[in-house]
Amino acid sequence: MILRPLPLATQKHLLNIGLCLFLLWGIYDALIGPDLVSELRDFTGRYGAYLLLISLLFTPLSLRLNWVKRHLTMRRNVGVWGFLYGVVHLVVWIALEFAYDWSLMLDEIAGNLFILLGVLAFILLLPLAATSNRWSLKRYGYQPWKNLHTLTYVAVPAVIAHHFMAQKSDVLEPILMALVLVIVLVWRYRNAH
Amino acid sequence: MPIKSSTITPEKIYKKRRTLIAAGLGVLALPIVDKGYAWFNGKSQENSMFLPPQPTTGEQQQKSLELTPLETITGYNNYYEFGYGKDDPAKADKTLITSPWTVEIGGVGADKPGLYDIADIKGEHAIENHIYRFRCVEAWSMVIPWNGIKLADMIKAAKPNSRAKYVRFITLNDTQQMPNAGWANGPYVEGLTIEEAMNPLTLMATGVYDKPLEQQNGAPIRLVVPWKYGFKSSKSIVKIELVEHMPQNTWWKQNDREYGFYANVNPQFDHPRWSQATERVIGKTGRQPTLLFNGYANEVAHLYPDKNNRLFFY
Repeated sequence: MILRPLPLATQKHLLNIGLCLFLLWGIYDALIGPDLVSELRDFTGRYGAYLLLISLLFTPLSLRLNWVKRHLTMRRNVGVWGFLYGVVHLVVWIALEFAYDWSLMLDEIAGNLFILLGVLAFILLLPLAATSNRWSLKRYGYQPWKNLHTLTYVAVPAVIAHHFMAQKSDVLEPILMALVLVIVLVWRYRNAH
Repeated sequence: MPIKSSTITPEKIYKKRRTLIAAGLGVLALPIVDKGYAWFNGKSQENSMFLPPQPTTGEQQQKSLELTPLETITGYNNYYEFGYGKDDPAKADKTLITSPWTVEIGGVGADKPGLYDIADIKGEHAIENHIYRFRCVEAWSMVIPWNGIKLADMIKAAKPNSRAKYVRFITLNDTQQMPNAGWANGPYVEGLTIEEAMNPLTLMATGVYDKPLEQQNGAPIRLVVPWKYGFKSSKSIVKIELVEHMPQNTWWKQNDREYGFYANVNPQFDHPRWSQATERVIGKTGRQPTLLFNGYANEVAHLYPDKNNRLFFY
């Protein structure tokens, strides 16, 4: 019997199921741990940032690696899941960390650059997530859609900076993430010119 | 039989089927999440995430010190020698050898320096019980029932002289017993002024909830300074030195812009990256206001004459 790769659509379903299960596992793990709020907040924040960063790697890697080129459309799944992890992250922050104390949240946003960066990144990602479907692409046309989606190159750096500033001392991981991001941005810039 | 056109799902809705399913599932999940939330917060009907939080004043906080459960105290820790994650110290292998254990008390300020066995320390002094608020610089807090002895009693035994202006505390730094020992390029160092060290609030804790300290809480003996940020209360202490000059503590050395020597809790002075006005009680949701000197102003405010000097509060 020859093993043939699964159809792309099936692979995408598997990716979606996998990322959904991973999120559910993170929620379960936080529920059985000593502190639901910080564990779920940090889990969704960290892996949301990873997914968003990975979504930026698809285009540059697709030029070199055939495997990535064949799976280029998975970029959307990864990006949208990164956003969904971010939604849970934000809900945890609003509902569990601040228990809907809006004035306290406003103080926090105004007084902390890293919280402000997180909020800005989320706002920037909203229209991108909303238009991450074929229907929007057709409706707005390829070029305007593409222009809108270059916002990822603002939103993801904001996410990484937010992640960096949230650390107390061990910043190796966010520095590595920032390094990958800089490489992608430089590549993007040189490719555009 | 022909299919009636009215039974066919319109294309627009059909195309949104995934969104609809997701939204439906989300709405269905809400009561479950809310139940889980209430269960997590002590099976109370008042703890619904759909109800606004009850405001807490400083006075209410003073009166009701609701103890943090032991599982939380032993499960959520900053002890970098056992890993950077909050649950790393609890999950780490129990490699710390806490018996025999000696604490060396010395330095130029001690006329009677000596080596004290942990068993002798526990035997010689009456073990006191103190319920203290514990406030981390990361803006979270617990309420912990400590068992321990007054640091002042240990210091008095070493006969402090006039050169004893500061006290320096050294934590064990052993790669054999601690997987991440040496993360700070040397042992974890903390320091207090002699007045702070002699204050009756300052404890050398040997237990929590009448049980010996666990490895992740700083077994077998640790410092507890309840009016300062948690990093001042260093763990697994092997050496106490009475010195003339202000010792440089580990976090001050790590990042002098964000951490200093005094690190007294103050809701008015923010950390460079986050607000210190409120705190998250571990295991609970929402935040409560942080109190000046963590609620111990009556006992310690006299030690810091200048309330506006930032030096005292970071």
